[in-house]
Amino acid sequence: MALIELEDVSKLYGFGDATTLALDEVNLSIEKGEFVAVMGPSGCGKSTLMNMIGLLDRPSHGTYRFEGKGVSRLRPNQAAKIRRDKIGFIFQSFNLLPRLTALENVALPLTYKGMSSTRRLKLASQMLDRVGIQSREYFLPGQLSGGQAQCAAIARALVNNPKLIIADEPTGNLDSASSRLVMELLADIHKMGNTILFVTHNPELTRYATRVVYMHDGTIIHDEKTALGQVATTARKVLYTLPATSEEDDLAGVSALMKALPDKPAVRRKRKKSVAKAKPTTRRKPVRGKRS
Amino acid sequence: MSRVIFGHVKSGINTVRKTKLRSFWMMLGVVIGVASVITVVAIGNGIKQQISGQIHHMGKNLITVHPAQLQADSTKGSNGLSLLSGLTTSGPLTAKDISAVERVPGVAASAPLTITNGTVSGENGRYKDGFVIGTTPDLASLLNQSLEYGVFLTPNDEGTNAAVLGQHAADALFNTDVPLGRSFTFHGERFIVKGIFNQFDATPLSQQLDYNNAIFIPNDVSERLTKNTAPTYEILVRPNSEDQTEAVAANIRKALDKTHGGQSGFAVLTGNQNLTTSNSILSLLTKLIAGVAAISLLVSGIGIMNVMLVSVSERKHEIGIRKAVGATNRQILGQFMVESSVLSLWGGLIGVGLSYLINIVLRIFTDLKPSISWEIVVLATGISLLVGVVFGTIPALKAARKDPIEALRSE
Repeated sequence: MALIELEDVSKLYGFGDATTLALDEVNLSIEKGEFVAVMGPSGCGKSTLMNMIGLLDRPSHGTYRFEGKGVSRLRPNQAAKIRRDKIGFIFQSFNLLPRLTALENVALPLTYKGMSSTRRLKLASQMLDRVGIQSREYFLPGQLSGGQAQCAAIARALVNNPKLIIADEPTGNLDSASSRLVMELLADIHKMGNTILFVTHNPELTRYATRVVYMHDGTIIHDEKTALGQVATTARKVLYTLPATSEEDDLAGVSALMKALPDKPAVRRKRKKSVAKAKPTTRRKPVRGKRS
Repeated sequence: MSRVIFGHVKSGINTVRKTKLRSFWMMLGVVIGVASVITVVAIGNGIKQQISGQIHHMGKNLITVHPAQLQADSTKGSNGLSLLSGLTTSGPLTAKDISAVERVPGVAASAPLTITNGTVSGENGRYKDGFVIGTTPDLASLLNQSLEYGVFLTPNDEGTNAAVLGQHAADALFNTDVPLGRSFTFHGERFIVKGIFNQFDATPLSQQLDYNNAIFIPNDVSERLTKNTAPTYEILVRPNSEDQTEAVAANIRKALDKTHGGQSGFAVLTGNQNLTTSNSILSLLTKLIAGVAAISLLVSGIGIMNVMLVSVSERKHEIGIRKAVGATNRQILGQFMVESSVLSLWGGLIGVGLSYLINIVLRIFTDLKPSISWEIVVLATGISLLVGVVFGTIPALKAARKDPIEALRSE
C-alpha cells in the first residue's frame, strides 16, 4: 500500500473569471521509503502539491489517501493532528519562531502533543544532537547561520517521528556548502527509512533522490526513477547545457528544465486526452506560489 | 491538556516580557482601572471605619438632636439620595427646645451646640477658619474628650466670658504653646482661655464639625451676644443608662413635638442611627465612584482587544508555523486567550500593588485612612482576569481561524 495516493486531484483558486487551476487532475503515488524530488518552473503548482500532501490544504476535486485513509475531506483539527503526528515540514525560509530558542523551536510539535516540558526538551536536545547543532541549543534563530537554522528546522520536522517529511526548497536560501550539509542530512534520514518529498530548482540535488517528478502548469509531465548518487538523466541535460534558454524563452517564461525534457514523454502523452477535456483554452497565468 | 495550557501561560509571559512597551500600554488601562476601583472602595471603607470609630468613641448611647428632617430610614430602604438632600435643609432649634430636652425624664446630661456668628481677633489678628460654639459644661463628657491643658467650662463659668479652644484654634489665635489665661476679642468683648482640648480625631466627610477649629463659650453668653438669634446646630444628649437610649430618644421626640406644635423641624438620632445614616451616604458615593472606575476597567478591555488584534495580524506567520507543526485551531485559540488573560491579570496585579502604594501616600499626606479589604482585591483581580478572557476572545478566534497557508506565506 502506497503511503500517498493522489487520484485526479485538482485545486482551484479564486472565483469566476479569476479562477486559477493550480493543480490539474494530478495522479501520484508515493511508496514508503521513497526520496522524491519535485522539479518544475515557478508557479507550476509544486508548492500547492506540497501543501496538499502536507494536509495544509484540501483538494478542490479528487481524492487523497494518506496511509490508505481518505484525507481529502478532513476537518481542520483532524488535519492538524495528522500533521502533528505523521508529517514534518521543512521550509525554504526555515520558519523558526524568532522569539524561541533553537531547542524550544524543535520542541514545538511536541508541545501540541501535550508532552511534559522536561521530556520534550530532552527529545528536542537529542534531535539537535542528531543534526549536529546541539551546541547551539540556546541560540535564537537570528543568531544561527542559514545552514544551522535549516538543521534546526529539520530537527523540528523529525522530532515527532513523522512518516513523511515534506521539504519545500530546503536549500533555496542556502549557499552550496550548507546545501550539501542539509541534503546529506536528509539523505541520512532517508536511509533510516523515512519518506521524503522535496522541491528543488537545482538539478544537481536530484542525485540524492530515488525518484524525480517534473511538473508544469499544474500537471506532472515526467516521472522517473533514478539511482541514488546519480543526477537524474533528464535533469542532467539541463545541468550540462546551461544556459539553455534564449531571450525569447525568457520572455515566454520557458525554463531551461522544460527545454531539456524529452520531446514526447510517456506521461505527457497519456495525460493529453484528459487535458484536452479539462483544460480551458486560455493560457493560465501562475498567480499563486511565486516562491515555489 | 493541562500541560498545553501551562505552555500557553509560559508563552504568554514570554510575550509580555519580549514586547514590554506594547504590553505596558496594553496593561495600563487595567492597572489604572483596578487601582482606582480598589482605592475608591478603600477610601470609602476607611471613612466608614473612622466615623464608626468616632461614634463608638462618643458612646453608642449618645442621642443627637438635629434641626430639619435628617432621617435614617434604613429599614424602609432609604436610597441615600434623599439623605444627601436632607443634609442641606435646615430648620431652627431654639432655646425652648434646649430646655425642653433638658427636662425630658431619663436625660442624664445634655448640651447644645450653638453656632455664634462674629469675628474673633486673637494675638495673631483675625481668626478666619474657625467658629464659635455656645454650649454648656456637660459637653466635654458628652463628647468623651479630655483636655490637654486647663479645664472645661464649669457651671460657675455660665454668664462669664470664658472659653475653651480646639487645638487648631489655639494654634491660630496665639503664639504661645499653652495660651491658658490669654484672651481674645469676640463681639467686642474679651474672652479668657480656660482650657484646650486634646486633638479630636479628624473625620472626613462626616456630618460632625471639626471641633479642632472650634472655640467653645458658655451658651448663655452666646445667646446674650447674638440676642437669641444664633442657630443651634445640634443638641447632644446622654440618657441615664444605655438600655433606655431608644426610649429617651422617643421621649425627646415627643417633647420637641410639643414645643414645635406638631411641626417636625427636627430629627432625633441615636448613635446607631447616626452610623447608618453616614454609612448609607458613603456606600452610595462609594458605589457611584467605583462604578465609574469599573467602566474604565471595561474600556481598558477594549484597549486589550485592539492590541491583541494588532498582535494577531503581526504574528500571522507565527500562527502559520504553529499550525504547520500541528497546532489545532483550539490550541491557537487557547494560546491567544491565555496570553490576553495573562496580560490583563498582570495589569490587575500591578494595579493592586499600585493601590497599596496610593493607600500609603494617602495615609501620609491626608487625613484619609483608606482600608483595603481582601474581598475587593480578589474581586478587582478577578474582574481584570475576566476582562482579559472576554476581550481576548475575538482576537483569539481570529487567530485560530487563520488559513495556515495564507499565514505561512505572510512575513
